[in-house]
Amino acid sequence: MAVVRSNISTNPGIRDQYIEGVKLLKKEASGRTTDEFGIPGAARSVSTYDLFVVWHVTAMMIETPPGNPAQRNAAHRGPIFAPWHRVMLMVFEQNLQRVLNDATFGLPYWDWAEDGDLPPQEQSSAAIWGADCMGGEGNPVATGPFAFHASDPSAFRVRISTNISGELRSVNRGLRRAFGVSTDALPRTAHVTNALALSPYDSPDWDADTNSFRNRIEGWMNDDGVSATSMHNLVHVWIGGEMLLGSSPNDPVFFLNHCNIDRLWESWMSRNGRVYVPDMTAGADLKGHRIDDPISSPLGRSATPRETLDVSAIYEYDALA
Amino acid sequence: METKKLETGAAPRKLGDYLTRARDKAPAHADHGAGGAQSVRKDSYRDHEIEIVTTYKILVDGKKIRAPLGVDASGQVHCHSLPNYQTSSAVDMVRALIDGFPEEFERKPAPSRRRPPSSRKSRPAPAHKSKPAAKKRSKHEH
Repeated sequence: MAVVRSNISTNPGIRDQYIEGVKLLKKEASGRTTDEFGIPGAARSVSTYDLFVVWHVTAMMIETPPGNPAQRNAAHRGPIFAPWHRVMLMVFEQNLQRVLNDATFGLPYWDWAEDGDLPPQEQSSAAIWGADCMGGEGNPVATGPFAFHASDPSAFRVRISTNISGELRSVNRGLRRAFGVSTDALPRTAHVTNALALSPYDSPDWDADTNSFRNRIEGWMNDDGVSATSMHNLVHVWIGGEMLLGSSPNDPVFFLNHCNIDRLWESWMSRNGRVYVPDMTAGADLKGHRIDDPISSPLGRSATPRETLDVSAIYEYDALA
Repeated sequence: METKKLETGAAPRKLGDYLTRARDKAPAHADHGAGGAQSVRKDSYRDHEIEIVTTYKILVDGKKIRAPLGVDASGQVHCHSLPNYQTSSAVDMVRALIDGFPEEFERKPAPSRRRPPSSRKSRPAPAHKSKPAAKKRSKHEH
């Protein structure tokens, strides 16, 4: 039976389960060590949670095709953005269900446009940043369930990050956030409405310059069709700190942001049908983004964008946009 | 998507296996950041083939940084290390890199010219060689 994904700001039960599940995955040893992923330094155990950090960075480094100037990769800057992250969220949700021992658990989403409609100066005090939810900002974050306490070995720690070259590195520090440094406000409801009004899922040149639904929600273009940081990208940039890096899944808010993006994609499909482009007639330059190309994931070659279009047997949202 | 396939593939062991295999398919790890990322843009215009090769050499505080900057067909600057940014200026991207990777730009504290009185008392003054005057830091044009 499909689980229901709900708004973290209005469902305290799911919120608390999410926090507990993240902490359990962070403590669970995956059986892998850092050296197996080419991370320099002494080999250290990698938690199941941190496998998702490695996965995100790895996908980002698989250029499709290699050397393309648009830096289209196996998860971003092209049509695969929505399907790849849908698969990542489903795998993450399965693991949360396992450690919570609750097959009915549905990943929560953060409807950031609700907070984006607040005056900019009030956005950093929205409910999601409360001590009972994701905690606030700081270097390190000092409030909430993921606050850092140097003397507490069980406190939430960032153990794998990326350096300035984008390569994986071992670290041992607290979570970082710096709200509104590079941009003063989150996306608003009007931005969501405008994105949902775009009918093509994606369009040539299938990159960060195209005025399509995918490109708009990924956040490379604003409502005027001009290159700008918006939507999903703007949320990353507004939160700052960990969320700026390729290792952004280090911040548990990463999954709440992407769950909302996935909800917007589902909302778009409820209006436009379960359609996806490009199809398999597209050239090899789009390999990895076409409808029947394998998604870079542990689910094998049969997991393709086509397979992600109808997930009604697995989950549904309590409310679409 | 089949629920069974998802349940099986979601096991941490499966994810770990996949990631160790996928690591070998990420050529960007080998090519980027090694001291000068390169973008090649191609286009055609009035039967002419255009190819623009862009290479960034970036110094911060006189030190070369290994950030894989690139530029896309519309001239927007991007960087693997900050995947959610795109800027119209490489200078803006470097500013974002300084914010995003503070450890990599940490300055070593300048050696103090004056020693605290206690240390002057307890340690003999070292024999200083005369040093050339520090180079005046050039101003960056943004």
